[in-house]
Amino acid sequence: MSGTEEAWTVARLARTIKHRVEDDFPAVWVRGEVVGVKRYPSGHLYFGLRDAEAKVDCTMWKFAAARLREPLVEGTEVFVLGTASVWEERTALRFNATQVLPAIGVGAQAQAIEQVKQRLLADGLLDPGRKRTLPPYPSRIAIVTSVAGAAVRDIITVATRRWPGIELLVINSAVQGDAAPGELVAALEIVARLERIDVCIIGRGGGAKEDLAAFNNEAVCRAIAATPVPVISAVGHEVDVTLADLVADVRAATPSQAAEFALPDRRDIAARVAVLRAGFVSATLDLLSTRQQRLTRTRDRMGAALLDRLRGAERRLLTARGRLAPALARHVKRPATRLGHLETRLRPAMRHRLDRWEAALRQHAAQLHALSPLNVLGRGYAVARARDGRVLRHVADLGEGTQFTLSVADGTVVARVEEG
Amino acid sequence: MTEKPTSLDQDLRRLEEIVRTLEDDELVLESALQLFEEGVGRLKAAQKRLEEAETRVMQVLKDAETGGLRTEPLDG
Repeated sequence: MSGTEEAWTVARLARTIKHRVEDDFPAVWVRGEVVGVKRYPSGHLYFGLRDAEAKVDCTMWKFAAARLREPLVEGTEVFVLGTASVWEERTALRFNATQVLPAIGVGAQAQAIEQVKQRLLADGLLDPGRKRTLPPYPSRIAIVTSVAGAAVRDIITVATRRWPGIELLVINSAVQGDAAPGELVAALEIVARLERIDVCIIGRGGGAKEDLAAFNNEAVCRAIAATPVPVISAVGHEVDVTLADLVADVRAATPSQAAEFALPDRRDIAARVAVLRAGFVSATLDLLSTRQQRLTRTRDRMGAALLDRLRGAERRLLTARGRLAPALARHVKRPATRLGHLETRLRPAMRHRLDRWEAALRQHAAQLHALSPLNVLGRGYAVARARDGRVLRHVADLGEGTQFTLSVADGTVVARVEEG
Repeated sequence: MTEKPTSLDQDLRRLEEIVRTLEDDELVLESALQLFEEGVGRLKAAQKRLEEAETRVMQVLKDAETGGLRTEPLDG
């Protein structure tokens, strides 16, 4: 404890008390009864707040007093938002009020909302099981909101960024005030009549709590539940959850967030398409190269078999000639000539046969080559198909007047046989 | 040849199916060619959908007398 030589001045005491009270004092809501209301010509307002045990003097500065929706009435219950402050001149504590709400009204409103909620619950409209999932790739979105509000612009901005090409159908409705519930219900009825709608967003930009009344309206909630497509609520209030939010299939805090929920991001989808394209191309190439290898192997085996036979025939021919020559030499007068004749006849015959085998081998090889899908796809061969997709291979399939489709590298045309 | 419009969702799902089928070794070449053609078409459609650039914003209005609906462009 300090000695008298260190005595504080009164001003220091007052300043210290003021700092101790005001520093870090949070803004709080206080509930109490209004007493002793005085309005000064300056516009400032003075009143007391009390309950059964205590009383606090309050000030409300001109700028805050000007925003009061209703004048303070002596003896009424109110909620007052403010912070503690000390009036230095008298070291007197004042609660500095910035906002006043009627406690009775708020209580009654909350009670009314609770009653609506109970009715919605009883009818099963708040069951988690009836929440519908949003379609992954919507093409038409209905938006119920005020065309004059910020919500529409926010949604358009996000939609254009994420998923351009989307069609947005806006149904105008008041979102606050007495007309709002009726207009919202009428707008939702219009949504139900529109065709090919994938998702409906109902909402508004941010605002004060009192403005949310339309979104706690029973008829609006039931209209949301009756909407034939999934509904995203976007009431634009991070903190307060309205009944509309509870009935909607998805709740978004803001209209921008609603658009994000409703629409995929084109960059994600582009990445998915790129992966699919790569998979598609490599699967096709794999398939074709497997077939190609199989064909090549078959062709090689056939070729080898044919060559073996040709060699065998050649050997037999040589052997035959080797045996013929001495036999002829023994039995024929002019063996050399006879042999020469025979050889002259045999050679072309054998040559002819060899030529035929070779031609057959070539033809088989060519057929195998033609069957190779790489050629079909890449080198301009055409595939003729009947209308049922069957591949037409024979002239017999192509009678005069037959209609068929002809697939070439870049597409398909319908063709008709002119002369069968 | 006219194509009936498919949704992007359908296109992507079908493409996944086609890739899986193409990876099957037992596939008949004829079917592979058909799948290849279909896959190319669907890839083109998906690509085209991704390249669409214009967001259309319409306002739906209800005629007070007839109750009929009409749409008109909404000025952003």
